[in-house]
Amino acid sequence: MTKSDKKWQTPGVVFQPKVYEGLRGGINTLVNAIRPTLGPLPRCVVNDRTYGSSRAELLDDGGIIARRIIQLSNREEDMGAMYLRQVLWKMHETIGDGAATAAVMFQTIYNEGLRYIVAGGSAMRLRQHLEAASQVILEELDGMVTHLDGREQYARLAETICYDPELAKMLGEIFDIIGAYGRLDVRPGRGRELEREYIEGMYWEGGLFSREFIQDPLLGRAEVENTALLISDLEIKEPQDLLPVLDMAIGANFKTLVVIASAVSDQALSVLLSKPNREKIQAVAVKAPARDTVNRSKALEDLALLTGGRAFFQAAGDTLSTVQIDDLGQARRAWADRDSFGISGGRGDPRRLRQHIAQLRSALNNTDGSEEHKRLQERIGILMGGTAVLWVGGNSPITIEARKALAERTAEAMRGALREGVLPGGGIALLACQPALQKKRRSAKDPDEHAAYTILLNAVETPIRTLIDNAGFKPDKVLGEINSAGPGFGFDARQGHLVEMAQSGICDAASVVKAATFSAIHGAALALTIDVLIHLKNPPSSYHAP
Amino acid sequence: MIMAKSTNPNNMLSKDFVYQFAASRAFGRKDTSCFAARFSGLYRSSDGGTTWHRAFTSSNMGEEFPALAVVVPPDPEDERDIFVGIKGGILRSSDDGQNWESPLHSTPPSTVSALAISPNFIQDGTLFAGTLEDGVFRSSDRGWQWAAWNFGLMDLRTLCLAISPNFTSDEMLFVGTQSGIFRSTNGGRAWREVDLPVGYQAVLSLAFSPDFAQDTTLFAGTEKRGLLRSTDAGQTWVRLGRPVLSGPINGIYPGPDFSKKPVLLVLEGGILLASRDGGSTWKIWRKERLTRRDITAVYAPDGFGPKAPVLVGYVDGTIDRI
Repeated sequence: MTKSDKKWQTPGVVFQPKVYEGLRGGINTLVNAIRPTLGPLPRCVVNDRTYGSSRAELLDDGGIIARRIIQLSNREEDMGAMYLRQVLWKMHETIGDGAATAAVMFQTIYNEGLRYIVAGGSAMRLRQHLEAASQVILEELDGMVTHLDGREQYARLAETICYDPELAKMLGEIFDIIGAYGRLDVRPGRGRELEREYIEGMYWEGGLFSREFIQDPLLGRAEVENTALLISDLEIKEPQDLLPVLDMAIGANFKTLVVIASAVSDQALSVLLSKPNREKIQAVAVKAPARDTVNRSKALEDLALLTGGRAFFQAAGDTLSTVQIDDLGQARRAWADRDSFGISGGRGDPRRLRQHIAQLRSALNNTDGSEEHKRLQERIGILMGGTAVLWVGGNSPITIEARKALAERTAEAMRGALREGVLPGGGIALLACQPALQKKRRSAKDPDEHAAYTILLNAVETPIRTLIDNAGFKPDKVLGEINSAGPGFGFDARQGHLVEMAQSGICDAASVVKAATFSAIHGAALALTIDVLIHLKNPPSSYHAP
Repeated sequence: MIMAKSTNPNNMLSKDFVYQFAASRAFGRKDTSCFAARFSGLYRSSDGGTTWHRAFTSSNMGEEFPALAVVVPPDPEDERDIFVGIKGGILRSSDDGQNWESPLHSTPPSTVSALAISPNFIQDGTLFAGTLEDGVFRSSDRGWQWAAWNFGLMDLRTLCLAISPNFTSDEMLFVGTQSGIFRSTNGGRAWREVDLPVGYQAVLSLAFSPDFAQDTTLFAGTEKRGLLRSTDAGQTWVRLGRPVLSGPINGIYPGPDFSKKPVLLVLEGGILLASRDGGSTWKIWRKERLTRRDITAVYAPDGFGPKAPVLVGYVDGTIDRI
């Protein structure tokens, strides 16, 4: 066992001043790794190898870099870095962008806060004032929000997020079509270029149970019109269970039937495919969507609403014997291939459907759990009646995967921008909060409150300073020029000169800037109150590789 | 003036209903044809609406079809094209009604409840068809080929369509459905739902202000919650004329000089109501002359002045020229 390994095995309790020193070291290490990536001219960070690959990985995203740093050698520093890593990764997961902005603001707040506390300030009171002051910034940002419209504006926004003009142009067009809540399916492409496709109607994962259902081998799919749908996650084993449903559908003059189930036995399939039955009713059996039970039941409920039917669940004790004719959904058209199935013209009540979508949207806007967020976004997208598919090509599987991840991240940030609007980009929006903070600082009577505003005055300046520095310019000089130019002007790091921000189209998603500000201030304020660290003998392997 | 389809065909497939009128911009000229879509088929008048004759009389028309919607190109130079929405698709004539073809072959067949033609049809050849079950179809080649354009249209039960007077530049299009309004700002390529202050109500009629480019105003008539107005190109809406307007608004007719003289007529139930203040106050229009209470369609391209010709269609198929 090495000396380092032994140290990691040693339990203990760590007190001040080692706690502050350790946390600060870890935070600074992590932020310094992310800092070069902020802005339109980022410098890259190289990870020597990724999981499952022997090749080095080129990184330019703060969230991913934080994710890749899974341990520091010093145990106290490691705790500081992992604390910040958690803050940044959560932002990355839920918002899709802004981790680098949050990181540099976090660092400023923590380091300056620490300096104040070491000089005799109260950590708890400073935390309270920092958290309260965050509202001042958020309200100022709210006052600057504007909304974009049209593919060109969307494309410019996308470019400020991904710095990939070709991808940005494509995403601008896509979001002009699908809007903030529409479904975007990003898939690895087969060529080198970006391609897009728009699919009308709704579709889910879950293909045909048998190739025998395919009518057109060239098209590779089955299509039915004016169809009834049996919506379930049942396992259909016995053919005789299915016969009453077929008879019922035939009796109701349906010529076609889509059977959705989690499993259908070969014997049951043979009943659906038998010639006498197919002459009476053309049936198609498809797999119930989604792999996990929660997603599956939600998808089936959505399908039932869309088609005016009822979903049958194994877990609820439903069986085929309880199916009534009114329980079958109906649709103008349905199709299925090996991997998925879709419908258009569901005969459900459109008012109920739209109410349902509005409720899902409301839930989406009130959730910050990334998994739930994704699940809701997916459901809304499906129900909205159209999907954009973006095929991301590239020269190698690694570049395709990296560009695909970039497209997904950019899309997520764009959704936020479309929902909540945009702010002047390039760090200008945060910089423009300084007058409000100065005003508050002047009226502050409590020294801790005064200190909180002083710290935040510097924190809101940090992103633009970093951006200018990364682009190879002198922050003090450029900031002086921006101040002289007056409101509305900012620095275009790519062109290397001042521009009128509204005209130049340089903007940031308001949701990203606000989330980065909130995470940085609240995360750093809480970190400043950490006084004791506890080391376990065998720490759990809590840092999972992606 | 661009006017939308005016009635909910779901409720009105019984009597010889007059659904819609259509004529080119030269309606005022005596020799110009105008058309009436009726349950008993398409009718044509060649004397400005005084006398009417069946238009489906050509050799290739084996039977009569209920005509639910009709449009003709707005340009008088282009008035040999006629498009009729029927149960099962669209009928198209390119020789002034001598011969008819059915270019929209959707499966299963769609009932076309509304048609809207581009104000610049002579150049862009674009028109839209709204169907009762399959959403919106678009043709960009003067109605020969049609394709479904329903991306984002969550409700495919289309009741009315309205196309912007400035479609060439703004590509704006609205569709009224069983559950409300959807808006497209890219020529129907994608649709976004519009939040209405009255919830998810069926929208029976839509009308743009003739000065839409300047006033960005349009109107929507609901089945149960009266009249709505938007002054920001359909993004936000307010309800007008409460409590007078509470029945189904089957037609909306802004005056041709609406931005200066805010004259607005609506067909509420079977009664024609007029407002001279943009929708705040209402009274029955020409009460002394229009004594019947079963009006189903109105056509007044030159406005509602004392000398302007106005066509009024009734539930039994009769048509008056006022």
